[in-house]
Amino acid sequence: MVIAATALLAAAAYLAGGTRLRLRGDAWPRWRDACFTAGCAVLAYALLGPLPGGPFTAHMAQHLVMAMIAPVLVVLARPLTLLLRVLPVRPRRTLLAVAHSAPATVLVFPPLAAVLDLGGLWLLYRTSLFASLHHQPLLHAAVHTHVVVSGLLFTFAVCQLDPVRHRWNLTWRATALLAAGTAHAVLAKALYATPPPGTAFTTTDLHTGAQLMYYGGDLVELALAAIIAVQWYTTTGRARTRRLSRVPG
Amino acid sequence: MSESAGHALPPSAPEPATLPGRSLVVCAVIGAALMAAVDEIVFHQILAWHHFFDRSTPAVGLVSDGLLHTAELLGLVAGFVLYADLRRRDALAPAHAWAGLFLGLGGFQLFDGIVDHKVLRLHQVRYGVDLLVYDLVWNGAALALLAVGIVLAVRARRRASS
Repeated sequence: MVIAATALLAAAAYLAGGTRLRLRGDAWPRWRDACFTAGCAVLAYALLGPLPGGPFTAHMAQHLVMAMIAPVLVVLARPLTLLLRVLPVRPRRTLLAVAHSAPATVLVFPPLAAVLDLGGLWLLYRTSLFASLHHQPLLHAAVHTHVVVSGLLFTFAVCQLDPVRHRWNLTWRATALLAAGTAHAVLAKALYATPPPGTAFTTTDLHTGAQLMYYGGDLVELALAAIIAVQWYTTTGRARTRRLSRVPG
Repeated sequence: MSESAGHALPPSAPEPATLPGRSLVVCAVIGAALMAAVDEIVFHQILAWHHFFDRSTPAVGLVSDGLLHTAELLGLVAGFVLYADLRRRDALAPAHAWAGLFLGLGGFQLFDGIVDHKVLRLHQVRYGVDLLVYDLVWNGAALALLAVGIVLAVRARRRASS
């Protein structure tokens, strides 16, 4: 509930920020507004709305949206850039100091973000954590928050669309994506064979959920790879234009 | 090209005319990733011959499968963007590119047929049938694609040197 409400508030704040920039005469593409709003909306729906399939499939659909689809949409909209542009001077300095701080720099190191994200998933599905969620609402809320936050962190670190102090190069980001994708695929196949300890789902439900995790993960990995690839293509394109314009002619 | 904004490329431009080696490698990556996609879409999804998870798979097979599967996805994207880059730089060598494509298609098919199906035993071509025929056709097709790739590569190299 809290996460869904936060998401909807964030969407409203983002739209207000974008509108303010445009009224000021600055350019802020509308597709970014649409991306951010869609990201927050699917996140809220995943938490509140009815989901398809048996209990495990529904759980997996929810996680797919919360940890992978919503973060991609949110990160594509460059929320940090927007914030830095609309905030008044003093809070902007504070935010910039946080974004450039040592802990933030370490957290967006792509392999670390991948470990935090995928490590959490492995703990959830391969220990008794999953089974104990049902009796402990606080733990459940903590896991949900971790899923959303670590998903955002990983997507943010891999895409690196927003300004942070240290820009990790393509190799780090692509390797982290490859490693995370591998861990995700292996975990999905492992779940297909054996359910999380202490749970009893029907075989069909387990199989559908695991395949949803596997192929859903594929689609999001493709999207992340495409974001990195387009970024590389534009950057090298600009560098090439500069180089060519320097050639005496 | 258009983004050079009116600066016509002088004959002494720093970029070489074409990059045959790069063209071949990039298209081989695309070929391998395309074959992987065909495998996934046709044999796993449409025909449902392959199984998502065959219980005889050892742990190492599972990890290698996960790694390869993710690498295919990233390779598909990387291959196409590198191809676009070659086109943008006017550096694509078409003959080498075709050779690379076939080498990639055949190379992946052979790897899948030998390493994935036989060595790591991820899954088989089909279940409940005489496997020998299927394996022979599978790997035979791989060898045929590879042979086409090799012939094209040799011809491309000969044409480039003459």
